[in-house]
Amino acid sequence: MAEIEQFLKDMGGKITNKIEKKKRLYFNVTNDDLQDIADYLFNKMGCRLSTATAMEMYHGLEILYHFSLDKTGQYFCPRIVIKDKKNPKVNSITSIVEGAVWIEREMFDLWGIEFIGHPRMEELLTLHHPGTVKKPLRFREVGA
Amino acid sequence: MKANKIPIGPFHPLLEEAEYFELTVDGETVVDIDMEIGWMHRGHEYISEMKTFTQSIYLVERICGICSTSHPLACVHAIEDIDNIEIPLRARYIRTLVGELERIHSHLLWIGLAGHFIGYDTLWMWAWKYREPVLEMFEIISGNRNHYGMMRVGGVAKDVDPEKITELYKHLDMIDKKMVMVAKVVRDDPVLKSRLKGVGVLTHEAAVAYCAVGPTSRASGVPWDVRRDEPTDAYDLVDFEVIVLPNGDVYDKAVVRVLEIIESGKIIRQCLEKLKTVQGPIINNVKEISPGEGIGRYEAPRGEVFHYIRSDGTNRPIRHKVRAPSYVNIPTFTASCKGIPIADALITLASVDPCYCCTERSIKIIDQKHGHQQIDLLKSSREKTERIRREIHGN
Repeated sequence: MAEIEQFLKDMGGKITNKIEKKKRLYFNVTNDDLQDIADYLFNKMGCRLSTATAMEMYHGLEILYHFSLDKTGQYFCPRIVIKDKKNPKVNSITSIVEGAVWIEREMFDLWGIEFIGHPRMEELLTLHHPGTVKKPLRFREVGA
Repeated sequence: MKANKIPIGPFHPLLEEAEYFELTVDGETVVDIDMEIGWMHRGHEYISEMKTFTQSIYLVERICGICSTSHPLACVHAIEDIDNIEIPLRARYIRTLVGELERIHSHLLWIGLAGHFIGYDTLWMWAWKYREPVLEMFEIISGNRNHYGMMRVGGVAKDVDPEKITELYKHLDMIDKKMVMVAKVVRDDPVLKSRLKGVGVLTHEAAVAYCAVGPTSRASGVPWDVRRDEPTDAYDLVDFEVIVLPNGDVYDKAVVRVLEIIESGKIIRQCLEKLKTVQGPIINNVKEISPGEGIGRYEAPRGEVFHYIRSDGTNRPIRHKVRAPSYVNIPTFTASCKGIPIADALITLASVDPCYCCTERSIKIIDQKHGHQQIDLLKSSREKTERIRREIHGN
């Protein structure tokens, strides 16, 4: 597909561990390159951010962004791996994609990931929770 | 200036579901809005990771009472995406048939509620009356009026028998005629037009920036529709038009929905016709899911439903992410509600057809000028419609 070829040509130096499937492209990026990749996908290619998925793996926390190129049905999924589980920090992409505000707050709530540069880095789900909440809500292996 | 907070909700009889918005109003004008979610912790994603793949389909069916086809369909698409599982042709038509029936009943439900909010209770009663035969069609196909249990990895659970097809046609003929009438009412009624035109405008730029989906974005001129952009099931085998309108106001959102109902009727008719001739199995026997990750999505009535599933090769997912369309559509209120009169707030908030099952709710109004004052949004919304009706028709 021409879009993938062009993307790899322009951004190929910033991505690793590329996995290509039918209408799906998964790849790793570093925290320093995340905003460049998001800017390219959202502003230059015209992708839409469907959402982002955080998950806890043995090697650290992963954030997988899901950018949809709707005119072709292609997904571009940059993956960030955070090895420091105790103090996870990632650059926010909200200055590029307004639609990332809620999902980044949700990941902060569930996984304790702090998004640097987010305009409102506070809980989404438990902001005014009346009781005591053990946070992050979905962290099982802190310090493991 | 001291701001006064007046909570209405989270569970208030005024609201059809529990919900939470924080409107900041200056007299009659909304100057800011904030939304808060998470009062209803349901844990679907976490529970799913303790279920098998097949059990997860039943679980996600219960995320939403209206989208009880869309979530399982997106879920099976995600699982099938891991191994590129092929679906039998007959099952593809059955999936499309059920999905489009859901679109009709969801849009009719919204049209009814929208009519109720602006004081058009006749529209509400008509729309919900004609929703009944759609639910009966579901009952004929699946045995249930809701939560149909039709989706399986590799196909569908139940076939549609030939005698059922004849019965479905009878219902569809009646629904089609009535939908033309509802479309005419929504598009031609002068009071409705005056009440909804130019209200709660979401610009094209804002829809793109907030990554809005479904009729919310298509009414703002953003032409994306998963059914056409990444056709799954039988969507690449049927003819239909993606409805896109340019203005972004509540009126365009309503018109997009009524026209989509008519398009859904066309798709259902094509599916029923094909089900008469296309024979064969309705499910592929899938015995195991390989390690890997898959993305599944479906164009639900409210917009794209997104599911991501990661498998480690066992019989259950190690991560299951669910994103309902309202999750990305509700933040657009920040763009569409600022500067509108408070009488228009309720219909603007309702215009994205927000699904509060996945969200949270109560309304707390901060009136910067008038101190402690409870404002009944429904009452002021209906009063505005009545004022417009008098101007157009007299007493």
